[in-house]
Amino acid sequence: MEEDDNLPAADSALQRKHAAMIERLSNSHQSRLARKPNSESNSTFISTSSFLSRFSESKNSIESTLSRIRQTPDPHTNPTLKSELDNVSISIADLEKLVAENSFSLPSYEVRTCLKTITDLKQLVEHVTSEVIPRKKFSFKNKSTKKITTQNDTVSEVPNVESKDSVLRVLDSPGFRGKENEVLVKEFGRGNDEEIREFVLSELKGCDVRLMGSVRALFVHKLIDCKVYVGPVFGSVLIEEVTNCVFVMASHQIRIHQAKRCDFYLRVRSRPIIEDSDGVRFAPYCLKYEGIEKDLEEANLGEETGNWSNVDDFKWLRAVQSPNWSILPENERVGTVDISS
Amino acid sequence: MGLLSIIRKIKRKEKEMRILMVGLDNSGKTTIVLKINGEDTSVISPTLGFNIKTITYQKYTLNIWDVGGQKTIRSYWRNYFEQTDGLVWVVDSSDLRRLDDCRYELHNLLKEERLSGASLLIFANKQDIQGALSPDEIAKVLNLEAMDNSRHWRIVGCSAYTGDGLLEGFDWLVQDVASRIYMLD
Ligand SMILES: Nc1nc2c(ncn2[C@@H]2O[C@H](COP(=O)(O)OP(=O)(O)OP(=O)(O)O)[C@@H](O)[C@H]2O)c(=O)[nH]1
Ligand SMILES: [Mg+2]
Repeated sequence: MEEDDNLPAADSALQRKHAAMIERLSNSHQSRLARKPNSESNSTFISTSSFLSRFSESKNSIESTLSRIRQTPDPHTNPTLKSELDNVSISIADLEKLVAENSFSLPSYEVRTCLKTITDLKQLVEHVTSEVIPRKKFSFKNKSTKKITTQNDTVSEVPNVESKDSVLRVLDSPGFRGKENEVLVKEFGRGNDEEIREFVLSELKGCDVRLMGSVRALFVHKLIDCKVYVGPVFGSVLIEEVTNCVFVMASHQIRIHQAKRCDFYLRVRSRPIIEDSDGVRFAPYCLKYEGIEKDLEEANLGEETGNWSNVDDFKWLRAVQSPNWSILPENERVGTVDISS
Repeated sequence: MGLLSIIRKIKRKEKEMRILMVGLDNSGKTTIVLKINGEDTSVISPTLGFNIKTITYQKYTLNIWDVGGQKTIRSYWRNYFEQTDGLVWVVDSSDLRRLDDCRYELHNLLKEERLSGASLLIFANKQDIQGALSPDEIAKVLNLEAMDNSRHWRIVGCSAYTGDGLLEGFDWLVQDVASRIYMLD
């Protein structure tokens, strides 16, 4: 690490370097644009519809090869099957590459459906392989079994490496922890250090939490039967393992994991996401306290974006609505919540 | 001429590098890539799948693969291992509770044979947040000293928010990869 007194010089050198880099980048971007119309005729830059037809063509051909292999009479003695299966794997890899190459020009929904298809195809290959080729000859080294692991049962973390000071720091992080049936109020100081802090809510039960002012990052973990009201978070909110709670929050990014039966009243600049959750409902932000408009404004959260309803469920990669979340019906919404003291 | 040297030759001509960015969800991978590319970072959604950015850095063309880190899609990471020259592991240094997860996933990744030749840059990101652990502390918690001797690695503190540290990290990574692939150029 540099000494402190080197910093200004290092800083401006860095800035010059960065400016130069950005100029180079924009130049190369321009020349790329100029080249684009008749660019190399490989698969880059093809249109969505021609991409999709190409994708489904190869998908169909892979599937029909697989079903043919499956119907081979007496597969165990057929020596060419293994190489045929290998070829199928190669085709899938090519398909994957096609998706990768086009991922930046495709709508994100198409990308994830394609990825899902590819995973399904891979599973199908594994399945067919285990059907037609005796087990012991064939083992998939990378078969992931780790997906089932959960981190639920580790409450207090004592990393198994010697790192005593960082463990202490873990306890130091400002926040509310281990409370029951309490009203917990925190007002972040305006314009001072506190707003570039993180804040933690952890292991709360039946509490009413009110956070006013702005904070840079918020971590929420293990809450039951709580009501949580939060001013602007100039960064992201990470929520894990919450049950039967109501959240009213504004943030640049909101990630919700393992939530059950919770209502979220959100204002968010990007798309909120859920994972391993069910029974969660969404509505627009509805918080009031003295000075909230200014706080929201300063955190770039002054305007409603409508994103509160653009929820992505990472456990549900299909076109039909995820069964895990819904929009909170208007007649069940709480109305404006005022937490001014 | 062996296959390996033919591949080297080709790469050498194109001066291309393939960089894979991974790490837990919320660590800041997409923000880092956009920031280094001089793009707007004010609206970024969690990555569903992956993004690829091709950027020119010094005299090299970097193909940066930014892969989503949400738990559900971590199993896709291995689809991107092939031919990775440089691996960037991004850590949210303010997410103290999930550092165990982070260490577990990192060490799991490093077992991967296809990544064994890749230079490893660890970004201890979000240093602008007050409660963030320092790069030294992160190195301890992640048990980086226990890594295989043959691995080229380095940890750099950074903030995708302010931009601090990003160039330092990428400079090291690009130099390290270049000195291996393009040898004495
Ligand atoms: N304060 C602060 N916030 C950061 C920094 N880097 C990223 N963030 C914020 O952290 C959140 C997550 O950033 P992303 O770039 O979406 O994270 P990611 O690693 O790409 O996440 P996935 O796509 O889910 O894997 C966003 O709200 C960013 O604004 C940083 O250096 N400082
Ligand atoms: Mg991302």
